[in-house]
Amino acid sequence: MRRLSVVTTFAVALGVMGTRCASADNLLGADEGKLHLTAGFSDLEGAGGGGLVPMAFVSGYGSNLSWGANAHFTNIQLRDLHLYTYGVSAGALDRVELSYTRQELNITDTALDGLGVKQDVYGLKVKLFGDAIYGQDSWLPQVAAGAQYKHNDGINHGDAVGLPGLINPKQLGAQAEHGTDFYLAFTKVFIGQSLLVNAVIRETKANQFGLLGFGGDRHRGYSTKPEGTIAYLVTRKLAVGGEIRTGPHNLGVDDQSNAWTVFVGWTPTKNLSIVAAYLNIGSVLAPVTTVTRHQDGPYLSVQAGF
Amino acid sequence: MKLSNWLVQGSQLVVLIGAMAVAHASPTLYEKIGGEAKVRAIAEEFTAAILADDRINFTFAESDVKKFTQLFFEQLCNITGGPCKYSGRDMHEAHAKLAINNAQFNAIAEDLYIAFDKVHVPYYLQNRVMVMLAPMQKDIVKGRGFVAPGTTAPPR
Repeated sequence: MRRLSVVTTFAVALGVMGTRCASADNLLGADEGKLHLTAGFSDLEGAGGGGLVPMAFVSGYGSNLSWGANAHFTNIQLRDLHLYTYGVSAGALDRVELSYTRQELNITDTALDGLGVKQDVYGLKVKLFGDAIYGQDSWLPQVAAGAQYKHNDGINHGDAVGLPGLINPKQLGAQAEHGTDFYLAFTKVFIGQSLLVNAVIRETKANQFGLLGFGGDRHRGYSTKPEGTIAYLVTRKLAVGGEIRTGPHNLGVDDQSNAWTVFVGWTPTKNLSIVAAYLNIGSVLAPVTTVTRHQDGPYLSVQAGF
Repeated sequence: MKLSNWLVQGSQLVVLIGAMAVAHASPTLYEKIGGEAKVRAIAEEFTAAILADDRINFTFAESDVKKFTQLFFEQLCNITGGPCKYSGRDMHEAHAKLAINNAQFNAIAEDLYIAFDKVHVPYYLQNRVMVMLAPMQKDIVKGRGFVAPGTTAPPR
């Protein structure tokens, strides 16, 4: 709860600061100098992107001479799972992005009803070259490299499902309770077509984003997994699109499959962003619960900052 | 019929279809936007938006506003396929002394979007103009210095 109150305080402070610096007067050198939507949204791991897939944009509305920061809260209610994420991120010089996100998963139905998992995600992203917006006379996308260190805090409330000894994803077959994803993101806005295209290649060991640990009995090491986003810009502040993210299948107890979204992202001001989406992550722990239906449902994320 | 005859007839058909395509050429972007009246209105709203924008209006302190509006009209008309010649300097030369940075360039882009909205140009058409203007960033933006908080002067 302490983490949440810190993030909340930060969010309120950012909101107030953001409002004050919406005028020409800058606050601490924050110029809000990027175009709407080009700070991306905080995805469920806290990286600037959409809902599920990061992009090569640097979080925050600071230009290449400035900085930006924001806080986000995301509520995801899937069929038998509830995932709540909140965190903060900052972007400097339109070049480097740092983020921290807390993920809290609770199983709300099936034989595992009551089980919970918490995870911290620390993210770093560096824009390498290219410009998604200005480079309209070239095919070159904006390219960024990112890393996400994820630390799984373990499994809670095993006693609720008659497994009081279940406290660690390693007991499900995972190799580790922490791991690092590495990714490259390629983002291009085809302005003439009002179309955003984003491709990501990720090296990962994470089982269900790491919520079920890293590596497993079926496959121990890294897998190379593609992800992608396509979005249509309805106005300069509103985008609709879809994302797909493939994941490794490391665990015998989980038939991990592709996750995808359809989303609406809205940035009414540079101080506020909202993403409403439908998220489907496929079945979760089906071999254990014998519930093979897809875990899908609404995704709602609110982000305040500058 | 010999193969060469087929080829001659085929190529005649291609020429004919090509000619029809030219005759039915789709309207220019200039026409789609609404022609001279609309493009002039965009230029006027654009100038007004810049003058009202504290992030960028200092660059107009010594400008001939009427001349700017006319030159921007010409430029917009010209790049959208309208019957105009742009009589101004090239973008690099015109902005050489201004030391405009990325944030200011983006402010100008936002002002142009606002101008398009004011005269009710649909967003997808706005972007068909913007796609031609976006690469000008490298001709216009030179500012590399840090803008101190609260300043409205361009970086030296």
